[in-house]
Order: sequence, then C-alpha cells, then structure tokens
Amino acid sequence: MARQSGSSEEFARPIRRLLVGGLILLLFAIFMLWRIDSPRAERFRAALVDAIVPQMDWALVPVTKTAELIEGVQSYARLQQQNQDLRRELQQMKAWKEAALQLEQENAKLLDLNKVRLDPALTVVTGQVLADSGSPFRQSVLLNVGAARDGIKDGWAVTDGLGLVGRISGVGKNSSRVLLLTDSASRVPVTIQPSGQSAMLAGDNSALPVLDFIEVFEEVRPGDRVVSSGDGGVFPAGLLVGSVVLARDGRLRLRLSADYGRLEFLRVLRAQPKDRIDGSTDLIGPLLPGAEAALSEDAEEAADG
Amino acid sequence: MVEATVTRRWTYWGLFLGLSALIIFVKLLPIQPGPGRIPGPDVLTLFALAWIVRRPDYVPVLLVATVFLMADILFMRPPGLWTALVILGLEFLRARSVNMRENSFLGEWLTVAGVIAAMTFANAVVLTIFIVDQPGLGQALIRMISTILVYPIVVALAARGFGLKKIAPGEVDQLGHKR
Repeated sequence: MARQSGSSEEFARPIRRLLVGGLILLLFAIFMLWRIDSPRAERFRAALVDAIVPQMDWALVPVTKTAELIEGVQSYARLQQQNQDLRRELQQMKAWKEAALQLEQENAKLLDLNKVRLDPALTVVTGQVLADSGSPFRQSVLLNVGAARDGIKDGWAVTDGLGLVGRISGVGKNSSRVLLLTDSASRVPVTIQPSGQSAMLAGDNSALPVLDFIEVFEEVRPGDRVVSSGDGGVFPAGLLVGSVVLARDGRLRLRLSADYGRLEFLRVLRAQPKDRIDGSTDLIGPLLPGAEAALSEDAEEAADG
Repeated sequence: MVEATVTRRWTYWGLFLGLSALIIFVKLLPIQPGPGRIPGPDVLTLFALAWIVRRPDYVPVLLVATVFLMADILFMRPPGLWTALVILGLEFLRARSVNMRENSFLGEWLTVAGVIAAMTFANAVVLTIFIVDQPGLGQALIRMISTILVYPIVVALAARGFGLKKIAPGEVDQLGHKR
C-alpha cells in the first residue's frame, strides 16, 4: 500500500484491518463447515473440480505427453540394456503363457465337472488420467469418465490391467477421482495367498502400503501374492493387488503390482449389486406353533390366488 | 502519471493471477502420480511471500484469498485453512515490509523462514485439534525445509524475471510522494 501523505490513509487502515479479520474468519468458517459436513463439502469440491479440470484437458494431455517423451529420450541411452532385459523377460513369459493355457484348460474341465457357477464377468470402463492431486500428501488421480456418460459410482474398483490401483471416491459429471491404495485414507481388505490369511491393506503415503491385522505372522512370507478378499462388499474378490515384502522397519508391507510410475489409462470395474441374504434360519429345526400357522395361511393364500 | 501507476499495478495483479494459475496447472499435471517422492516445496506460497516482501501493493488480500482458496479446493486440502494461514503470514510480512527494506537478504530470508515454519506448525496444530487425517510430521518437516531452501530461487526469479525490486529507502514515485 503506497503511503501517501493525507488523511485518507488514517481512515482506511482500521477498515482494512477489519476487512482482513473478517476474511480470515470467513475462511475458518469454510474450514469448519468442511469439517462438520464433509460429504456435502466434498460433493461441492467434486462438482467444482469437474467444472474446471476437464476444461484444461486440451492443455493437460499434450504437456503430459511431452514430458513423458523427454523421459523416453532419456531412457533411449539404455536401449541396448533394456532390449536384452525385455528379451529375457519375454522368454520367461512364453513359458508362463504355455503353463497358463494348460492350466486354464484343466480348470475349465474341472469346473465343468463340478458344475461350478462363476461370478458374471466384470465389465469395465476405461478412462484416461487427467490430473493428479497436486499435493504430495494426497494420493489420488482424476479420470475423464464420470457419472453422466459412463455411470461411474462411488466405491468401484480401479485397476491398470496389472493390479488393483484404488477405488472411485468422488464422482463428477465428466470426471471421477480415484483414491490410490497408497493414500493414507485408503483401507482395503485383502487375502494373502497361499496361506489364506486375511489382512487390511492400509496406505500411509509411502510407495509400500502396510499390511495390518495379520493373525498369524509366521504363515506369511515375503513374496506371497496378495489379492482382494471381497470382505465387506468393498471390492470384487480375487483381484491381484501385489506381493508381500518385509520392509526395513520390520513391518510387512505390500509391493503393488500396478505400475504406479505410469498411470495413464485405468479400468474402472463395474461392480454388480450383489444379492443380500437377509432371511433368518427359520427353516432349520422344528417350526414354532405361531410360525407354522402363518406358513399354512400363506400356503392357503397361494392356493386361492 | 497517476494512470501509469494504476495501470502498472493492474498489470502486476494480472501477472500474479496468471502465474498462480500456471503453478496450479503444472502441479496438477499427472507426470509422476503416486507416492514415494520427497515432498517438494510449496511454490505457490513461496511466490506470494516473495512478492509481498518486495511490493506489498502488488499482492492485494482478496486476490490472494481467491487464488489460495481455489488451490485448496483443487489440491484436495482442507478448504480455507491454509488460505487463512497464508493471509495471516502475508499480513504479518506486509506490516513489516517497510522495515524489511533496509534489511540484508539474509535477514529477510530468516524472517520468511520463521513465517513459513509458523504457518506449517499452526496448520498441523489446527488439523490435530479438529482430528483431521494428516501426513506424518517427518514429511511435513521435509516439505517445510525444502520450501525454505527454495526461497532465494523464487526471489531471484521475481527480481530478474518480473522486475520486482524492494523500494529503496527514500525513493519517491512519479508524483514525488514518499513511498
């Protein structure tokens, strides 16, 4: 504020102080409102982000691509090395593919013999990553698929084809936010194979989320596969999440299968609403007199109708 | 003459808004999504601090409030809290900007470092009181330190790139008024 000689300043200063005080109070009120009614505030935030970020789509995508191109040029120098690595990996993969095909056939035969009914195949919506959270303490990305065209709903699982990435948390008309497994608010029930121990995968803002609530530590080894357990209806069961590692701090953590370094296209799994089993166990054991009368009435009504 | 000063001020307000938008845009780019990196400096806050020490009249309070509230919302931070703290910090520096003209750069750096530290701790304390989920203290400290260390670079950019210099003691504007 340029200090000018004159009296206007003397009047202006207390008024300005009042204005700034009011402004700070208003901002704290916004914070309090967010704290008290978080879901509504987050919905408002999602709507605002939805209105702003897809507008920048035309700029976000080319700039990101350019940055990736520069990174690609840097890795050009290690081309020979990478080529060799890839060839070796390809050989191993071929062997695995052969094994997988045989197992798949065997599995199909066995399932046929057992007349097992499988979950209907999950359908997917593929979206492109528009933006990330912009803050080092919030792990989320924004996808360009939303509620209007694609019918995205809160809570659906998101994978990148290799493994689980996170879940939908916040949907706008044309965009949706994916809360990554590494965010400190993320908790996912998982099963550790082959021991079948269930655990809770808890993000803590590091690259390796923690495996909490393991019952028998001795049965879990580094290298074990971890899949989603489907407990609590959070995710479909059996999605690959990653493998167990023993971290330097002595805790069991998870190396994620999903390639978090380059999240570009993500698949949102449409979860089918499951049938709920609400009925009590009134068919087991002898019927109580009251229940018997009710049942026979029902039967009569059915006969009438 | 008066028009020239007013136009100049409007230009700098526009510049502030444009640069803030650019910083927010760059931060939103999904170049390296995912965790595991060292939390970098908070460039947006630094940039406001560097400007207010140099030319307080180019950083009006309402503009700052708008920009930072927008950033709070887009960056998934608790809306309003960091904005309020930034405004408190900026007003503290604004009140002292006249005295800070005579200080050396080192003195200015120390003052600003103190303000950044106070803002970081106030943020942590308020979040703790309201039981909001927050990152570990270590990560917040690393971010604070990297923010403080990057301050001279932002100042150099403001001075060289945008011609923001501290008002020299005794300098007058075109009308001959003391600033």
